[in-house]
Amino acid sequence: MTEQAPLVLVIDDEEVIRDSCSQILLKFGYRVETSADGASGIRKIETLKPEAAIIDLKMPGTSGFEVLEAIPRLDPHLTAIVITGYATVDSAVEAMKKGAYDFLPKPFTPEELRVILARGLERRQLVLEAEALRREKKALEENFITMVSHQLRSPVVAAQQYLSLILAGIVSDPGKLREMIAKSSERLDGLLRLIDDWLNLACIDQGSLVGKLKPVALRRMLARVIETLDPSARESSVSLEWPDRDDPEIVAAADEESLEQAVMNLVHNAIKYNRPQGSVRLGLRQDGAAVVLEVEDTGIGIAREHLPFIFDQFFRVSRASRESLRGSGLGLCIVKKIVEAHQGRIEVQSEPGVGTTFTVVLPLEPSRKDRA
Amino acid sequence: MTAPQARILVIDDDPDFREAMTAILESASYGVATACDATDGARKILSVRPDLILLDIMMDSLWDGYSLCHALRTSKDFKDVRDTPVIFVSAVRTIAGSRFGFKGEDQGLTGPDDYIDKPVKPDDLLARIKRILMK
Repeated sequence: MTEQAPLVLVIDDEEVIRDSCSQILLKFGYRVETSADGASGIRKIETLKPEAAIIDLKMPGTSGFEVLEAIPRLDPHLTAIVITGYATVDSAVEAMKKGAYDFLPKPFTPEELRVILARGLERRQLVLEAEALRREKKALEENFITMVSHQLRSPVVAAQQYLSLILAGIVSDPGKLREMIAKSSERLDGLLRLIDDWLNLACIDQGSLVGKLKPVALRRMLARVIETLDPSARESSVSLEWPDRDDPEIVAAADEESLEQAVMNLVHNAIKYNRPQGSVRLGLRQDGAAVVLEVEDTGIGIAREHLPFIFDQFFRVSRASRESLRGSGLGLCIVKKIVEAHQGRIEVQSEPGVGTTFTVVLPLEPSRKDRA
Repeated sequence: MTAPQARILVIDDDPDFREAMTAILESASYGVATACDATDGARKILSVRPDLILLDIMMDSLWDGYSLCHALRTSKDFKDVRDTPVIFVSAVRTIAGSRFGFKGEDQGLTGPDDYIDKPVKPDDLLARIKRILMK
């Protein structure tokens, strides 16, 4: 509903009806305008854009039917309710055919008017919301295509651009030549990663984790992730800390491969978006029927206004970081999909300049019913 | 003014593309300056005073190449350099969902002088630049 009360236009040649309708509608909290004939009613629909109109069918001059015929052109979403003293089935049917939402035979009670109007306005709201959703979805799809084409084309264009100038003999210095070939190769590697990530995402979308859950020793898995990422942590002068490393093993039903990838992505991000001499602190513990994984970094942090978007496809916080950090922009989106495929949830807390903590909560035993 | 001494400003958010453009342009003895986004580009248009601008659309940013071109042609901030030739360089000219038409009503007074697709063919780029600078 709009914040303002809906405006209802009463179009009737009889002053008594206009006044009584107005009084009823005002009492029920609507805003009201009136017209004494069809022609001025059409004008007011055009200029005042009421949410609903109560229209008398029998009026001298422009009839209620003519008003109904004009409505689709003026405002297809207007809720039109017709009133008539000649409540024959024929005229009611004809009015509905012309787009009236419902009809009220005279005389009618205030309650009858209220109920019909409320129902009509509710339907109008639903139609408007459905349309807004459709528009939003379309915009998202269009934006998605643009975004994807940009992401896929950029690395190809960059690599091709280097190769074309090498082929054209523009660069002759061997060192420079080698450097350009290396950069082309790097961009193509990035493209390959993007394609792999994307395929990955598509697989998770299709619910391929269903039925693949097996008991997974989580501490052993996290130890593997740390072992894999230790060299890049050293390279970035970031220390990996895991205080509860030697606690008892936790076994959860999971798809080992995808879960390991999700954890890998989180720890990798924590290293990548850290500062030199920073640290990544890991925690893994059982909490009732759930397991809680925490990845806490001392990195650049994420601004509050960006937090709602970090799990979106292709979202990356700053353009500046895009230059130096070349990921696919799909990492956190994949993590979230994997966690949710395990019926878990992921939360993030962050303070710019201080660090970010990702918390993953997974059920030890995802329920079979929900998984289907 | 002879073309080979002309200064060209490359505005593009892809560092590899900037580097490649620089190599092509320098091979033809142009002076080259680069900018990594529209904001940086706007600054450098005023400080470098280029003879020609190669402008990427950079559609993943709000203040994009398209708005920069429009501002260059219409804003009083740029009134001394308003007529600097602009070549749009784009990888997305014909993709669905793109709002950037090159042959539309914006071409003419406020649009670019030319456009060229990415990846750029070095010969083609140099020929177009030469043609525009000879005008």
